[in-house]
Amino acid sequence: MADIAQHPPQPSHSAVTVETAVSDHSQDRAGGRYRYCVYGIVILSDTPLALPEYAHAGLAEVDCISAPASVFLAATQGVAFDGPDSWYRYQLLDDGSTFVRWEAIGEFLVSADGRTIRSRRLEEASSESFQVYMLGQALTFALVRQRFEPLHATVVAQNGRGVAFLGDNAFGKSSLAACFLEAGFHLLTDDLLILKEDSNQLVAYPGPPRIKLFPKVAKRFLGDAGNGIQMNADTDKLILSMDDRQCANPVALSAIYSLAAPRVACRTASVSIETLTRREAFVRLLQGTLNRRFVHPRRLAHQFGFLTRVTDLVPVKNLTYPRAIDRLEEVRASVIADLGRG
Amino acid sequence: MTMPISFSERVSVAPDVLFRLVGDEGVLLNLKTVLYLGLNPVGTRMWNVLNAAPSVQAAYDDLLAEYDVDPARLRADLEEFIDQLLGQQLIVAGAPN
Repeated sequence: MADIAQHPPQPSHSAVTVETAVSDHSQDRAGGRYRYCVYGIVILSDTPLALPEYAHAGLAEVDCISAPASVFLAATQGVAFDGPDSWYRYQLLDDGSTFVRWEAIGEFLVSADGRTIRSRRLEEASSESFQVYMLGQALTFALVRQRFEPLHATVVAQNGRGVAFLGDNAFGKSSLAACFLEAGFHLLTDDLLILKEDSNQLVAYPGPPRIKLFPKVAKRFLGDAGNGIQMNADTDKLILSMDDRQCANPVALSAIYSLAAPRVACRTASVSIETLTRREAFVRLLQGTLNRRFVHPRRLAHQFGFLTRVTDLVPVKNLTYPRAIDRLEEVRASVIADLGRG
Repeated sequence: MTMPISFSERVSVAPDVLFRLVGDEGVLLNLKTVLYLGLNPVGTRMWNVLNAAPSVQAAYDDLLAEYDVDPARLRADLEEFIDQLLGQQLIVAGAPN
């Protein structure tokens, strides 16, 4: 009769206001630090970052500080890491801070209150690659501590409305987004989405002006992969600048499309879109959260409330399609038609 | 399995358990066990009635009046449901604190 399902362990354009930006890569006069805004968050940094210009308004603030190797050695002294040879290391430290390290990229210490990230770029890493990890990964640890619930999603925007593609790594979020860019949409954010409720709508905030794509996808939909920089030594994926294709303002979110896992997509012959019940939507959103190993009760309680609220405000749909680059225009047409039906 | 809560007792939501209605279904979070759980519409109704009633018997009476169901079947379903909720540490015997 009853059923308990168990899940393992988150306006119109004019309704969204952002105060006027003042300058590009501007320095905070008070602290002599560079000041930016990304995902709606003010980023203070002691080194210049490839980010959009400073904005007065911010949902929160994170201070990024360069630190020498000795700081990270001292913080992790005596720590036994899971999978010590892994290229990714994560450890919650006794003082409540979080240590994360990506081999050949960099290491980061995120303070317990999420207001400070100490970072060290490793010699092998390009500046672009390091910033992708700092702003796309390490920053999420800080945001979770500041009671945000980042989602693993890419968003494209048109006419002040956003469409999110939710899914894990290798689910095809960025490739599908690139296909939408070809049709005149703009990129809002790639791989990390911060949402905030405003007047019974969900507002999505712009990420860094870049997208990560495989070269053949970039060539197919953007026409050029020439300016791309390899993300890391283990992938062909390129980091491509989106300065002229990004939507720099927050937009109201129209829908979230949850992409099918590659193992499902590989067995699929046609494009299908199915609206999920709100309970199903909640589970998908939960699966789309980041830093799931951080299960402090305060985080979980906030995540629970936030994700159930998201299901109140936007439809979440299951999007299944064949994993073939030649079929992405068809997927795009199906999504646009679905959006048109409301 | 014998139900460790009698029909004369009342039940309430366990501490550290959060419940939200999403549409006509329910989702639960047990902060203690770090598990999210979902209830279908019937389970959600049983959850709400159980937690509002002064006793399991009163909840049973309310559900019997509401659903076109054989009384013995409802009793067995309710016992099984309570067993599952207890197993997941979602409810406790007694009034809410």
